[in-house]
Amino acid sequence: MERTVLIIEDEKLIIVSTQMVLEAAGFRVESAVNGEEGIQKAKSLRPDLVLLDIMMPGIDGWETLTRLKRDPETSGIPVIIFTAREHARGHQKSSEMGAADYFRKPFEPDELIELVEKHAGQRV
Amino acid sequence: MVVVTVPRSTEAPDTACRSSSVLDAVLAGIVAVDREGRVTLLNPAAERLLEVRAMTTIGRCLGELIGDGHDGELLAAVREDLDRVTPDRPIERVVEIHPNGSLELRYVRLRSRCLKDHLRAPAGAVFEVLDVTDEHKTNQLKNQFLSIVAHELRTPLTGIKTFSTMLAKGMLGGLEERQQTVVESIREQSLRLEHQIDKLVNLGHIDAEEYSQDLDAIDAVEVVRQALGGFEVTARDRAITLRAILPDGTRIVRADRSDLRRAVQALVENALKFTRDGGSVAVTLQDSEPGRVEIAVADDGVGIEPRYQGRIFEKFFQVEDPLTRHHGGSGLGLFFVKNIVEAHGASVRVDSALGHGARFSFELQLDGTGETITPQSTGAQTAPAHPTTDDR
Repeated sequence: MERTVLIIEDEKLIIVSTQMVLEAAGFRVESAVNGEEGIQKAKSLRPDLVLLDIMMPGIDGWETLTRLKRDPETSGIPVIIFTAREHARGHQKSSEMGAADYFRKPFEPDELIELVEKHAGQRV
Repeated sequence: MVVVTVPRSTEAPDTACRSSSVLDAVLAGIVAVDREGRVTLLNPAAERLLEVRAMTTIGRCLGELIGDGHDGELLAAVREDLDRVTPDRPIERVVEIHPNGSLELRYVRLRSRCLKDHLRAPAGAVFEVLDVTDEHKTNQLKNQFLSIVAHELRTPLTGIKTFSTMLAKGMLGGLEERQQTVVESIREQSLRLEHQIDKLVNLGHIDAEEYSQDLDAIDAVEVVRQALGGFEVTARDRAITLRAILPDGTRIVRADRSDLRRAVQALVENALKFTRDGGSVAVTLQDSEPGRVEIAVADDGVGIEPRYQGRIFEKFFQVEDPLTRHHGGSGLGLFFVKNIVEAHGASVRVDSALGHGARFSFELQLDGTGETITPQSTGAQTAPAHPTTDDR
């Protein structure tokens, strides 16, 4: 069965490049350009995984993660934090906040596919 | 430098008087305590910073002052350092304070050194307290700026790297040989740029000492393999044989994946830089002592003079004169390697002779052997808040 990945990311370039990589690996990819839209799409699409950027206009990735994990409708969806900025103890912080993993941009396409394969559909 | 002489009763009165005048004049706060933590000396600058009066403090234990209406965090740090400082191990850190319990935030650098008596036995400690608020705020702005710049550079780079990698790996269809070469070159240059941005961000962390705090169980073999990915074309263009000698299977270590990759990349970059065209660089990962693996980068390049071998890990140190040198670079690569490796509880070893190449190596503990990693302090610690990298 085709698995769906929702990318919540404000940079179109990142969405397009990530989408190409994941579609080449057989995933269906949906995107949202901010946290609010991302939360709505997570509820309506029930994706197998969310790739979540941190630095976004409006509510940032940490707040988006908090809201996704607080809502019973979306709390089970695995979320991978996907960031281009250094975050002190980012891995630890994202894990404590309920994220399944933490991934830095720029990325190696193979690594991204491996990580998404590992977590997609592993509802928590 | 502040030299402190604690007056003893046997000293000539004029010597004690001179010492006292010096202490009154210095801008840094100086506090000396005996082994029981009783204050034996406190200069006027310390009175101002600690908000205490010498006449009511001398002879009292520092512990008694805590919760006395003065700034608890600073005094707690002083008390903690008194228990930890040894003749061989001075302590330095930056502490956040709120003078008089106000909302105003200031930063002070606390340097703690062991005091010895006339028989050179530990006799207490001396604390130097210096207000570094302006310096600290400037540093925070610098780190914030570097972090934002890095983010802005990484975003377009993600596109370049991803698309060139997809093309190079044939994910978007086959290419002619010349097209393949060009695409691989674009990919390699993007990896090189990524490495430079990582160094830029690390530059912001020089004073923050924030290395390798995301320890995770990762495959060291895979990390080494990835680290080499950015240098294949450079090596080929210069006819340098770049070999990876890796064991079969995985070697799981507890490490920070990105930092470990950066350390290996910096070592390979350094080796390529100092290897002549046509030379060779070998990256080896092998089992060493039971439960440990060694990662080594060896070249047959110009080598390092013995007098420089202890200094090459210093920040900005370069063997060549920066104005006349033939090799590029910032003088930060090996400094980062040292910090990253030490944050993993290990140390970098260098074996080299001038004209006969160099071999840099370090060992990591395999995961699951029951031993825990204790990151080593690499120098000054900062105040607990680090808004530059933790704000978003």
